[in-house]
Amino acid sequence: MATTEVEHSKDWLGARLARKEDQRLLAGDGRYLADIVLPGTLHAVFVRSEYAHARILEIDSSEARAMTGVVAIYTGADIKDVIKSMPQPVLLPNLPARYPTFWPLAIDTVKFHGEPVALVIARDKYVAEDAAESVFVDYEELEPILDPERALEADCAHVHEGDGGNEIFAMSFCGGETEQEKQANNEEVEKIFEHAAYTVKERFRVQRTGITPMEPRGVLCEWNDSDGLTAYITTQRPHIDRLALIDILDISAEKVRVIAPRDQGGGFGVKAPFYRENLIIAHAARELKRPVRWIESRYESLMNVGQERDQINTLEIAANENGKLLAVRNHCITDNGVGTTGVYWGFVMPFLGNVELPNAYTWDKGDVRLQVATTNKACLTPSRAFGHFPIRFALERAIDMIAHKMAIEPSTLRRQNLIPSLPYTSVTNEYYDSGDFLKVWDNLMDQADLSSFRAEQARAREAGRYLGIGFACGVELSGVASEQLVPMENQPGYGAATVRLDPRGKVLVFGGDAPAGQGHETTAAQVVAAEFAINPADVVLKTGDTGTTPFGAGSIGARAGSYFVSAVSDACTQLKDKITRILAHDLQIEASLQHFEFKNGEVIYLGDDTKRQSFKDIVERIIMFPINMPEGEVGGLETTAFFEAAKPMICFNADCCVVEVDIDSGEFKILRWVTSEDVGNVINPMVVDGQMHGAIVQGLSNAMFEEFIYDDQGQQLTADFEHYKLATAADVPDIEITYAPTPCPHTPLGTRGIGEGRPSSVPGALANAVCDALTPFGIEITQLPLRPNLVWKHLRDARQQSDH
Amino acid sequence: MELTDQISINLPRESVFAALNDAEILRQAIPGCEAIESTADNQFTATVSAKVGPLKARFKGQVTLSDIVVPESYSLKGEGRGGPAGHAKVQAQVRLTENNGVTLLDYEVKADIGGKLAQLGGQLVQNTAQKLAAEFFNNFEALLVPPDAPASQPSDDDGEPIKPDSAASKTRVWIVAGLATAALAAYLTLS
Repeated sequence: MATTEVEHSKDWLGARLARKEDQRLLAGDGRYLADIVLPGTLHAVFVRSEYAHARILEIDSSEARAMTGVVAIYTGADIKDVIKSMPQPVLLPNLPARYPTFWPLAIDTVKFHGEPVALVIARDKYVAEDAAESVFVDYEELEPILDPERALEADCAHVHEGDGGNEIFAMSFCGGETEQEKQANNEEVEKIFEHAAYTVKERFRVQRTGITPMEPRGVLCEWNDSDGLTAYITTQRPHIDRLALIDILDISAEKVRVIAPRDQGGGFGVKAPFYRENLIIAHAARELKRPVRWIESRYESLMNVGQERDQINTLEIAANENGKLLAVRNHCITDNGVGTTGVYWGFVMPFLGNVELPNAYTWDKGDVRLQVATTNKACLTPSRAFGHFPIRFALERAIDMIAHKMAIEPSTLRRQNLIPSLPYTSVTNEYYDSGDFLKVWDNLMDQADLSSFRAEQARAREAGRYLGIGFACGVELSGVASEQLVPMENQPGYGAATVRLDPRGKVLVFGGDAPAGQGHETTAAQVVAAEFAINPADVVLKTGDTGTTPFGAGSIGARAGSYFVSAVSDACTQLKDKITRILAHDLQIEASLQHFEFKNGEVIYLGDDTKRQSFKDIVERIIMFPINMPEGEVGGLETTAFFEAAKPMICFNADCCVVEVDIDSGEFKILRWVTSEDVGNVINPMVVDGQMHGAIVQGLSNAMFEEFIYDDQGQQLTADFEHYKLATAADVPDIEITYAPTPCPHTPLGTRGIGEGRPSSVPGALANAVCDALTPFGIEITQLPLRPNLVWKHLRDARQQSDH
Repeated sequence: MELTDQISINLPRESVFAALNDAEILRQAIPGCEAIESTADNQFTATVSAKVGPLKARFKGQVTLSDIVVPESYSLKGEGRGGPAGHAKVQAQVRLTENNGVTLLDYEVKADIGGKLAQLGGQLVQNTAQKLAAEFFNNFEALLVPPDAPASQPSDDDGEPIKPDSAASKTRVWIVAGLATAALAAYLTLS
């Protein structure tokens, strides 16, 4: 590991330290789920529906059963009376919704292309694949329901029979609790729109897209009657998955252990839900009393998970003659898909997305309504920028559009309406704890140098070249507090860490989260090193094993830099307190933590620096030689801390994009991407830069390329990377990341959690830049993906109109 | 997916029409055809093995002909299923016209394909369809026009002999290959 020389231990905070995990990952020594080998493991392959909506007439698995090496075949009929149906309370949010009933394998009817119909288990993967292909399923096709707006109409057939409708979830977010209060609010909003000097109303469409982790899902389950179930799962939330397995499979809680492998090839939200595949694999391992594993193929992965966004936002904003934003009104319709994914169900994302609609602006009033429609498509699953990627695109575009009407710089309009001081509660009742939006914005504008750009743009236009500049910003959650997570998902939000000191002076940290590449091992080590004034190389982080780690909500929602490291820091503080109590006793002085400094591997009494002891010696003394102790003290140095701030916390960022558009072809090239970030105090700038790079590239890839496509029969046509295009290195610009931080006053280290919501301001900045370049044509982009053909169509239409 | 094309066949249309409804000729002409059977009036079932890119599958299909006007036209409705490889639903209109002993076959096809086949992507599937169609056409012609048979020499309006354009026909996207057969649906799956 490359180490940076630091003079003071506190300087470990902010050090650009090479990531501890990269040594093994880059050397090919990472150990992912598929690398875990248990003797006698059986391999499972799912037979999946090839129709979007069909009745299962017959499943003939006789040929498969007769194949040598096939051990078991499960169909819906085999498990219907054995495994509880979902939903079960453990996977339900605290949100009233029309939750569908389903089992891990389809019963009677398949409801999306790719739904598991049967499970084939064999001695190896090859036999299992062959056997799965010989399972004959006879279907009677049914009309698929594919259009979310049509699905919400009263006369539309229902995706889930006997369900009373396809509206799985609906909510309005502004104007009080009672119907009367809401109505009064909405009338006030209507009045504002009637009298406002400027209004914009537009229908914004964002396609079905999301995230495709490098490592797809997988699960390996082992059962024995004495220990029960051990389940290795690619998951961001092992503790939540454990509860789901306990409750749904009716296994006594002490007999279930879930292990998220230390190395996971990305989560980004896809590995946050609890999936039906996990249940049936665990059930099979229990029945067969042999290890069973399922490793998802890329094909299955693209068919089943990582699909998000997919919203129609009819958004209106109003401003007065001075450019003050007055009111925001949105009607969001989300295409939920089938709605059979535990914890999130497809609609928790747009729920939170609509809460986050107001962004960083001061609105007097808001009227925000959400309707989520069940359709015969894969269920939406979480993806970084959870629920609000399309909404932020819509809002940031609408702000540019209203600025165009006012004939003022969109960046000026933004700055004028940014929330000037925090804390602040938005019109959708979201709490913004701290930060300085204007500082972040002004830093961005310094970097962007708008006046120089406008001069360059004018020169370029004279030469027949079309340059444009676009801006957008985003308030993002810094972790998800219990105050948000309990109502949303019925789960706690606190961060959890156990810090265990070793008699040789080393430190072992156990985290309740389950990282998937974010660099927790390095950031946690830097925090511990800073607290104890030791080297980060002496600190090891263990995560993912519910048998050894404290209960935590998991690696979701930018919790590492906020909740997790804060728990680590708090645990270290508790241990430092004990160390100094005992050291003071040994030194025969009256002193406590505040009178000592931890420095360069020593604990030094500030009143007399001849009174000191090496960290290693005092740790060994307390753990190994607990005699002559202060009254009431016992030996040992290990503690678990849980961290939760009193209120939810946020971070803030802003983007500037510069493009050049070819007005003949519609092609555009990003010339510059500049950001300004408030991430609070930074523990490792390399890790934070990496989060920003990844998030912005994801945002661009979602905005420009990626799209899950279903044809008019509900066939999913984008199940490989030839048809589901991701951005490559050649497609993305150099990203200039700059920081304008305000330390978070609510975390012990002043840090903020970052990275989760970060993609959401990207499509707005990009589309605003393209529209700015095309100002002479008056083009306003209202849909994604933003591809050259879309730009070309707008240009063609604009030219046709000007011809008439 | 919608397809239209025109094919010329160097035979009178009565012969073409009859051959398109002759299960045995079709069985021999369709590449990979394992079985074909007339299950009822104007109804066929067939089994065909085909390979498309990475997918190898045995397609079972069923086709019903209707609106038959001998020897001018008919409509067709079919369904083919290749198990895990995918499936297709097909509707087609076929029209035969004759000019100086040469039959022109016009067709319009609408096909819905599903499963893995639909996801392979247009180019691969299209290429395979072309290859299979050319093969079918070769076989079909060979069966109906033995090489040593005395060829009648059709002529056009100017009295010039019309050369059978079999080379061009072979390379055409000849989706109609399966049109009149129970294996047809499987074919259209491939096109």
